[in-house]
Formats: sequence, C-alpha cells, structure tokens
Amino acid sequence: MAEVRISGLHKYYGPVHALKGIDLTVGDGEFAVFVGPSGCGKSTLLRTIAGLEEEDGGEIRIGGQVVNDMRPRDRNIAMVFQNYALYPFLTVYDNIAFGLRARKVGEAEIKKRVDDAAAMLGITALLERFPRQLSGGQRQRVAIGRAIVRQAQLFLFDEPLSNLDAKLRDEMRGEIKRLHKDISTTMIYVTHDQVEAMTLADRIVLLRDGRIEQQGSPLELFERPTTGFVASFLGSPSINLIPAKLVRRGQAAAVLLASGEALELPEARAAGVDAGGERAVILGIRPQHLGHAVGGPAAPGMARVSATVDLIQPTGTRTYVTSRIGGVPVTAELDAHDVHEQGAVLDYEVDMSRCLLIDPATDKVI
Amino acid sequence: MTSYTTLSDRLSVFSDINFKYLMIAPAIFVLLLVGLFPLVYSLVVSFQNITMTEVDDSFVGLLNYRQLFKDLRLWQALGHTALITAIALPLELLLGFLLAQLFLERLPGRQIFVALLVLPTVLSPIVAGATWRLMFDVRFGPIGQILSVLAGHPVNILWTVNPSYVYPGIIICEVWQWTPFMFLLLLAALSNVDQSQLEAAELDGASYWRVLRQIIIPAIRPVVAIAVLIRGLDLFRIFDIIWALTEGGPGSMTETISLYTYVIGFVQFDTSYTAAVAFLVVAVLSVIVTLALRRTELVR
Amino acid sequence: MRMMAGRARRKTGKLALRYAAATIVTIIFLFPVYWLFMISFKTPDEIFHVPPLWVPGEIQFSNYWVLFKDGDVKVIWNSLVVAGTSSAIAMLLGTFCAYSLARFNTGGENLAMWIISQRMIPPIAVVFPIFLIYVYFGMVDTYAGLILLYTAFNLPYVIWMMRGYIVDIPLELEESALVDGCTRWQTFWRVVFPMARTGLMATAVFTFVFAWNDFLFALILTRTEVITFPVMLTHYFGGQSNFWAKIAAMSVLGTLPIFVAVTLMQRYLVRGISLGAVKG
Repeated sequence: MAEVRISGLHKYYGPVHALKGIDLTVGDGEFAVFVGPSGCGKSTLLRTIAGLEEEDGGEIRIGGQVVNDMRPRDRNIAMVFQNYALYPFLTVYDNIAFGLRARKVGEAEIKKRVDDAAAMLGITALLERFPRQLSGGQRQRVAIGRAIVRQAQLFLFDEPLSNLDAKLRDEMRGEIKRLHKDISTTMIYVTHDQVEAMTLADRIVLLRDGRIEQQGSPLELFERPTTGFVASFLGSPSINLIPAKLVRRGQAAAVLLASGEALELPEARAAGVDAGGERAVILGIRPQHLGHAVGGPAAPGMARVSATVDLIQPTGTRTYVTSRIGGVPVTAELDAHDVHEQGAVLDYEVDMSRCLLIDPATDKVI
Repeated sequence: MTSYTTLSDRLSVFSDINFKYLMIAPAIFVLLLVGLFPLVYSLVVSFQNITMTEVDDSFVGLLNYRQLFKDLRLWQALGHTALITAIALPLELLLGFLLAQLFLERLPGRQIFVALLVLPTVLSPIVAGATWRLMFDVRFGPIGQILSVLAGHPVNILWTVNPSYVYPGIIICEVWQWTPFMFLLLLAALSNVDQSQLEAAELDGASYWRVLRQIIIPAIRPVVAIAVLIRGLDLFRIFDIIWALTEGGPGSMTETISLYTYVIGFVQFDTSYTAAVAFLVVAVLSVIVTLALRRTELVR
Repeated sequence: MRMMAGRARRKTGKLALRYAAATIVTIIFLFPVYWLFMISFKTPDEIFHVPPLWVPGEIQFSNYWVLFKDGDVKVIWNSLVVAGTSSAIAMLLGTFCAYSLARFNTGGENLAMWIISQRMIPPIAVVFPIFLIYVYFGMVDTYAGLILLYTAFNLPYVIWMMRGYIVDIPLELEESALVDGCTRWQTFWRVVFPMARTGLMATAVFTFVFAWNDFLFALILTRTEVITFPVMLTHYFGGQSNFWAKIAAMSVLGTLPIFVAVTLMQRYLVRGISLGAVKG
C-alpha cells in the first residue's frame, strides 16, 4: 500500500511561507503531477515528501505510515532528479546498482534487477560506460533505471525532462507513461510544463503560491476549472479572457462585450446564473471553441461575432487566427485549410455552451 | 590602408602588431635575470673548485658532484626533509579535512570562524616559530604547564633541544601553521560537490563511508592534488620555521636540505660545492614539478 | 503544528555541538597568537613568572615603546618599503604579462609552465649565486637589491593569478572597445584594468604578504641598513636569553597589518592561496 496522504503541511523558508497548508491524497498506484508556475512550491512539496526538506507543520503518510520523523533513506522512495545526479566516477551498471549495494543486496540479485531494468529502458548496451559518455536522454534513462531497481513504494520525479530538447522530451514522456503502465508504482511528478501534466497524470495537482488551486483528473481541470487561473494555466494556446458584462433579460441571459456585441447564453447555462440583473464578468473561451461561421443561421448555443483578422499563425494541422474581440486579442483555432488573409473580416462562431464565466473579483468560475 | 602622418599614429600601429611581445618583455626579462641567470652561473661555478680557502676557477669536471654522493650529511638532510614532509603533509590533510567537514553545513557566523582560523597561515613562519619557541619554553611557556596539569606531575621537556622532542616540536608548529591552508581549500572543494548526487545517495540509503569513498573523494581529488603539490613543495623548501625553532640543531639533527645548503654556502663558504648542490636540487625539483603540473592540470 | 519533533530536536542538538567544536578548535588554533599578544603586554616580571601567567596584570605598552625608542621600528619601515615597492612593480609588469598570456596565449603552454615552475624553485638554490652576484655589484644591503629580488620572485605568482582573473573578463568588452577605435594599449587601461580591479587588489595583497614574510633572502642580502622585520626578529634570539618582550612586540607589530589586509581580502583568500585552482 503506497498511498500518500498529506494533511495540513506547512513549510517556511525563513520568513517566506512556501507551503501554506497542503491537504492531498495520492492513491496507491496513481500517477500524480504537481504543476504550477515558478515559485508555487511544487518542488518544495516534492522534496518535503522525500524528506530532503523538513516540514514545519502537518503530517505526511506514505503507505499508511507517518514518515515525518523518518530519514529519507528509510522512507523507501526513489527519486529522479532534474540534472540526473548520476555518480560520475561509476559505470552505468554501478550507478544503477549503487542503492542495492548500499542495502547489501546480493550480487546475483543485483545483476538480475539491473539487467531487467536496463532491458526495460533499452540501455543494456551502455552498462559499462560512464555518465560523461552518454547523451542527455541516455543519462535520464540511467537515472530512471537507478530508481526502478530499488523497487521502492513511491517514485518521485523532479522536472526530469526540463534539460532535454523538445523532441527528446516528447519521446521520454511516452516512455515514462509506459513505465507507469508496466510497473504501476505510485508516482509523483513535478513539472512546469502543462502538456506533460495533461498527458501523464491520473491526477493533476495545480499549485499556486504555496496552496493547491485545484486538483483532479486532467479532463476535470480542463473542462471544469474552478478558477480563471486554472483555466489559463491548462490548454495550449491558453484560454481567451474577455472582460464583459453578464446581463439578464427575464429567463434569458447574455454576455455583453465592451465593443457592444451581445452573445446569448444557451438556456442551460442561463439557468445556472442568478437573477442579479447585471454583473461584471470575464468571458473565457478556449480557442478550440471558436470557429469560422459558414453561411446559414447560428446553431443553438452558438453566438456570432465579426472581427478583423490581425494575425495568422499556421502550424500545419491547425491555423491560429487572432482578432480583436471585445477589446482584447482573441485567438481562434481553425482548420488549416480554412485560409484567410490578414485584414479580412471574419465571422466567428462562439460555442457559448462551453464558455466559462469568471468573477473578476474572486477569479472563481461562476 | 590610410597613411599615417604622425609619429604617434605610427607608434600605435607598431605597438598593436608587436603588442603581445612587448607586454611580456619586461616581466620575462626580470625573471630571466633573477631566475635563469643565477642558475647558469651556478652550473658554471659547480664545475670549478672554489672553496673558502682557495679560488680555483679551472674546470674540474664532476668533482663536486661526486662529493655530493659521498656527503653523508647531505643525505641525512634529505632524510630529515623527507621525514618532516611525510608526517606533516598527511596530518595537515587529515586535520584540514576534519575541520572542513565541521564547517561544511550551514553555520551562521561561519565567516568569523574562518577569518580567525586563517591567522596562523598568514603569519611569517619566523613569527610562527618564535611563538612556539616561547610556548615550548620549559619554564615560562604554557605548554609545559598544560602538560604538567594533564599528566599530574611536572613535565619538563626541552622541545627545541631534546633530540626526542625536536621533531614533534617542529611538526606541531608546522601543522599548526598550515592546517588552515588545507582547511580552506578542502572547505571550498567540499562545498562544490554536487548536492543532488549526495541527495540521490541519501535516498539510495548509502552509508557515510560509501558516499565518502565513491562520491566525495573522487570529486575533491583535483583540489587535493593541487594542495598536496603546493604544500609538498613548500615542505621540501622548509627553512624559516626550523631556523626559528632549532636552527637545525641539536647539532645537525633537524637540518633540512635548505638549512644544509645554507650552512655549506654561508658558513663554510664552500662555493663550488654549494653551487653543485643547489643545481642538483633545482634540476630534480624541476623534473618533479613539471610532471606534477601536467598531472594536476594546473596549466589549463 | 508539530514544531520540535524528534528530527528538529536532533538538528538543534547537532548544531549546538558543532558550535562548541568550532569554538574549541578556534581557541586551540588562536591560543599561540593570544599568548604572543599577552607577552607583548606583560612586564618583565610577568613574562618570567613561574608558573606562566595567562593574563597580564594590566595591558601596558612599554614593550612597544622600547622598540620605538631604540629605533628598531625602522625595520617595519624597511619591510614596508621593500614589500610595497616590489609588489607594486610586480603587479604592473606581471599584469602586462598576464594580459598577453591570457588574450594571445603568447608562448603557449610551455611559457605558462615555465613561469609557474619558477614559483616552485626553492629560494635556497638561487640565493647563493645571487648573493655572489650582488656582492660583485655592491647590491648587498640595499633597498634596490632586495626590491629587485622580491619583484622577480613574486612575478610568477602575479602573472599566474592575473591571467586567471583576466580570462574571466568577457572578451566582448574588449572587442567592442577595439571596434570603437581603441588601440590594444588603450583597451588594456580602459577596459581590462578597471574590470580586473578586485582581482588586482586581492593579488596585490597576497603578493605583499609573501614579500613581507620572506626571511631567507632578507637574511642573506641585508646587513644593517635594510633589515626587514623577520630578520630583526631572529636577532632577538640570544645564546643565553631571548629578548622575549621584544620578540612578542615586534611580532605583533609585524603581523597586525598583514592580518588586516588579508581579512579585507577574505573573499579571495582561497583563490589566492591555491594559485587560482580553487575558486572558493
């Protein structure tokens, strides 16, 4: 049972309150990703779970056991570091075997485990080399190998792919996902990259300023964010945020843009909004929910807006078109073949059933 | 190319071209003057036969060099030098390492401790020797007093004269003065060891000795090599401390090679022989130093 | 909030232990210096007291006044002149040379190796022929003679250290000066010298210390006029009795300036004493 349960965790760095009361449970075998902007405390949280940093309050349980007073080596966890932390004067084999030798495992057993891990990671040919002779991706695999052979109850990853180039990062991401499928150990992964978070996680924990902003499955955070911050953090390109007003007219409601256009909210959405007359909101629309209106009337739930095309960014499969709507630049994700010219006026179709309404004062999604 | 109409224009072009040679010229000149020239002079004189009594500047071949090999006192001096080096160097290294470990982790106010611990190293070795000579004094020095208290009975050791205690005395003074040197270098080296490697080893459950052996020592080896090179050479040349403590005595018991060379040169005025000894010492040292320099990669 | 949990308690205990050890070690290392200081403040009765007194009755400076009265303090002046001048010259010539080595790699690895190996020559091997030459030219017991020698012996150190500091200065700064129309000479004075300011100061301090503390050369090449401080000290060692008070007072006088200078340059200490190999 390698469930990780954290309650009321606090940590100070001198006067700085780095972790402000974290409550979190990572289930046995779950892949949790701590994600957030720089300085949000994700690395601190990870290192505190590992025991490399000391908490100032709260409780950490791993596998049902309280580990607060246990040294890192006794917590039965393995960690993969951002800079790999390989021992430069040992061969790859000895690097991987290091932890097992330290715990006095027999050489025969060591050989078996190292060979198995090497085979799983495709580094069998490198076992006699030294770290300085390896590429970044190979080193990262060795670091992972060192973690695997320990057969620990919890794996921790501290931004392991940050030092790799983009293509290699994509490749390694897939391998880590496959690794989790194969050995199903509880894993906690820290990254600032939201793509990594979305693709790898069973559960995303989005941190901001030492607190958990929201946690849940990737889809949950993407489709039902609780705050504007979460909505902006996930999704690439990020969600469009347009200052506007929410107006009720009897049973119906509409979003009034600063530039005058009124976008009707579908009945289902309108019902969920209280009858407060008029209030300021921020309208959140993801680029994927903005389309090019072809002729004919708008489908139910769709609103129409016209705007001039300012910027066109083709990526091959999709084209990102930016226009000014409601006074701010808004990016839409259109089909690659839907070619337009800069300066042309475009009719946009806005999927109002998927839009987010955010209270500007509290940043909470209404 | 524009034409140069003034002298200063011409000079600046000239300077640019030969700039790099002009820059090194004065320094190299002085170095050759004082470094190379006397050595050559030495070499020449060593093949002559000039002593205190006679000035015979005819070529006598390897007379002086052959005398060198038969000179028992010379070899004893080399032995004394080797003894001091062999004991003091490892001691300084070990103590310096222990001190560095003590101060390695975060310690508020460390700066002050380090600044104070540096003091012995920046003293003139003569001052160091003089200080310990006063400390060792059998009647008025605190060492005897402290030892008497610890032993429970009066301890009267003549550290600077008693043959059984002169070497310990010298080594104590030398180690006292130069352990901070090792301490500083090792502290810097240990601080530069990759933290994440140590953390990984911690998670791997490695014992302190394993970490020391397989991670820390390989990481600090380059610095240790340089420290040993610098300190080793200084120990070979040791003169001031011994002069201040024992002046090579009793008799010639603590005479190191430097002291012996001084004696034959400035007491016995055995000019040619001194030149031969000096030259040989330089020759051997140069070879050792060049080899060592290549190995420690001091020359990048 | 679980504040002083077992681990935290262990940590504070460990810290206290380390402070205790650090204090003890510092006391042990500094005790001889303390002793020296104390002797310099003691009266003759207190100095030759059996058993030895650890604290003088009062702090009195008569031992120092004696040095001033007898004119022995002149040796401090001599040391200052000799060490100061030779350091200044060595810094100047050495930095020129260092610049050439750093930017143009003049003479390649061989020259660099020869220069650094000059520092490793045992002085005793060179002092004898130099003595003979100096006698011939009448340079014994002169300021110039000693200054020349110290300059020459400190040059390798200066060249070596300044080369390291200059290499750390980004090349782009000089390149943009050259593009702006400066000659190499101007670039050196306007860009390199200011940028290397702190390296210059640190190296100058350590060079000064080496020259100040030298004994062997001063012993052999001075007689009465230019005696430096370490040599004077050995004159106080008599056959029968040592002039303890004078030894102590003179030692303190000769050590204090050095200590102050080195403390100011503390940041560069490790780099300075390790010949630039360790950038502490």
